[in-house]
Amino acid sequence: MESFDTLLKNSAKAHGHLCPGQAVGVRMAMLGCRLIGLDEPTCRDQIKKLIVYVEMDRCTADAVAHVTGVKLGRRSLKYMDYGIMAATFVNLETDNAFRIISTEDARELASLYAPEISEKYPQQLEAYKRMPDSVLFRVQQVQVEIDEFDMPGPTRRKVTCSRCGQVVRDHREVVQKGGPLCRPCSEGAYFNDAREVNWPDMNWTPQTDNPHSVIGGQQKNKSRKTEKQLKE
Amino acid sequence: MLKKIDLENAVGTELSHDITEIRPGEFKGPAFRKGHTVCNEDLCHLQKLGKNHLYLIDLEKDEIHENEAAAILAKALAGEGIAWKNDPKEGKIGLHAARDGLLRVNTAALAAFNMVEEVMCASLHSHTPVRKGELVAATRAIPLVMKRAPVERAAAIADQNGGVFSVDPLRQAKVGLVITGNEVYHHLIEDKFAPVLTEKVTTLGSIVNGLEFAPDDASIIADKILSLLERGCDLLLLSGGMSVDPDDVTRQGIRLAGVSEMHYGAAALPGAMFLMAYIDDVPLLGVPACGLHHRITVLDLVLPRILADEHIGKAELAFMGHGGLCKDCDDCSYPHCPFGKGL
Repeated sequence: MESFDTLLKNSAKAHGHLCPGQAVGVRMAMLGCRLIGLDEPTCRDQIKKLIVYVEMDRCTADAVAHVTGVKLGRRSLKYMDYGIMAATFVNLETDNAFRIISTEDARELASLYAPEISEKYPQQLEAYKRMPDSVLFRVQQVQVEIDEFDMPGPTRRKVTCSRCGQVVRDHREVVQKGGPLCRPCSEGAYFNDAREVNWPDMNWTPQTDNPHSVIGGQQKNKSRKTEKQLKE
Repeated sequence: MLKKIDLENAVGTELSHDITEIRPGEFKGPAFRKGHTVCNEDLCHLQKLGKNHLYLIDLEKDEIHENEAAAILAKALAGEGIAWKNDPKEGKIGLHAARDGLLRVNTAALAAFNMVEEVMCASLHSHTPVRKGELVAATRAIPLVMKRAPVERAAAIADQNGGVFSVDPLRQAKVGLVITGNEVYHHLIEDKFAPVLTEKVTTLGSIVNGLEFAPDDASIIADKILSLLERGCDLLLLSGGMSVDPDDVTRQGIRLAGVSEMHYGAAALPGAMFLMAYIDDVPLLGVPACGLHHRITVLDLVLPRILADEHIGKAELAFMGHGGLCKDCDDCSYPHCPFGKGL
């Protein structure tokens, strides 16, 4: 694994800025990997052994993902919406799993570990670099049972929603009396009033110029082809 | 796990912890020690101490008794120059200075340690001069029985960098004194600085290796500094000429001598115009005139730390600000007061 400084620098670049959460996340990932016996989690021979559950959608989550190389689309990154600054690192080969929790104490202690810095975030950033793991984290050894439908690899099952016809993958359907339903049909969704619409430049493909169109807004930087079409 | 039993049923059982007796103004300590087998004769005494029930302890695998916890904590907290005995009294273990010197406290680690639930440690301030055998800190687990994990986590925090507490020995420095000022140099007034500085130096176990007087002339002051260094002095104290008057040229003299580092001004009163400089590894302390008038000044804060081989720079002088205001008490109890111990 790269040095902490290198990981932090690269993580901050990937995340978009350097912040205290990045320092916590990088160290959390380094500790997690160490505890489950992976020293190069992004290398080919280790990448498939690791699953990480993050319990927050904050800066720390990005740092954990960056250092470990886990990805949502590869199903190695699981997001649990707990609002807790914690992540669990699972070694699929050994079944060893450790949940690492960022302590609230660390925030309280930042001014003591970096007393020469008065601004809150720079002080936290520096303090989180200096604190030992024992102050920064609590660790729990845990058992994680991963459903086969949550495992990485190809899609294991597809069913069609009996109400809307949408294909649902990986056993995420809800079975009711009338048959399988997708979750929006069964439980409601995070969106409302869904209705099918058409949009400008519907026949665009990557082989044509970029139309730069915005649905429902003003058209900007119209492609030559679109301008020509409009003149005609 | 704790099991509560009536006192009358306790005869023949072993006490699971020390039982404290307090006689106001007269005695506070263990009336009965852990492990004592309760007999009929004890019942009346225990009742007078307000004990009508006792605990029997049956530890679970992941539990720990307060005495064992205290020993784990004490071991982790103690660094160089700290002695402790595994003989908890009322669940508490004292940490003592194993030698004369300067107490150092990793205040961040101590705070982090105390943030762990169910353990505690309290100490004297960092930078307090202590004598061999002096109690400098004490620790204990709060409950009689607790989980082992938090005790071990607290111990890990305490053990960072080799423990929270240490006592650094003070080296015996060969001190050179430079007393500046035309009024003294030309015998217009009698010097009072040399005796004051000599006493402070010798009280801390160092010796005065050379004494020089210089007029308000920067080049002569520089020459005197270099002369004392050539004579083997490894710590220099310069008095007078530290203020802002045109005749105050000691700073220029120190600079002319070729310092590698110089900081003028300390966040302490008395002692704002204190100067800290280094020529290679030799510290130079510029003592302002307040050192003549006040019994305790910034010099008393800095000198022991210098003798304990601490490098005093800008940050160390700045961090004195919190707690750096001497109350100038009629009945001065320094070093047992907060002066200079804010950080």
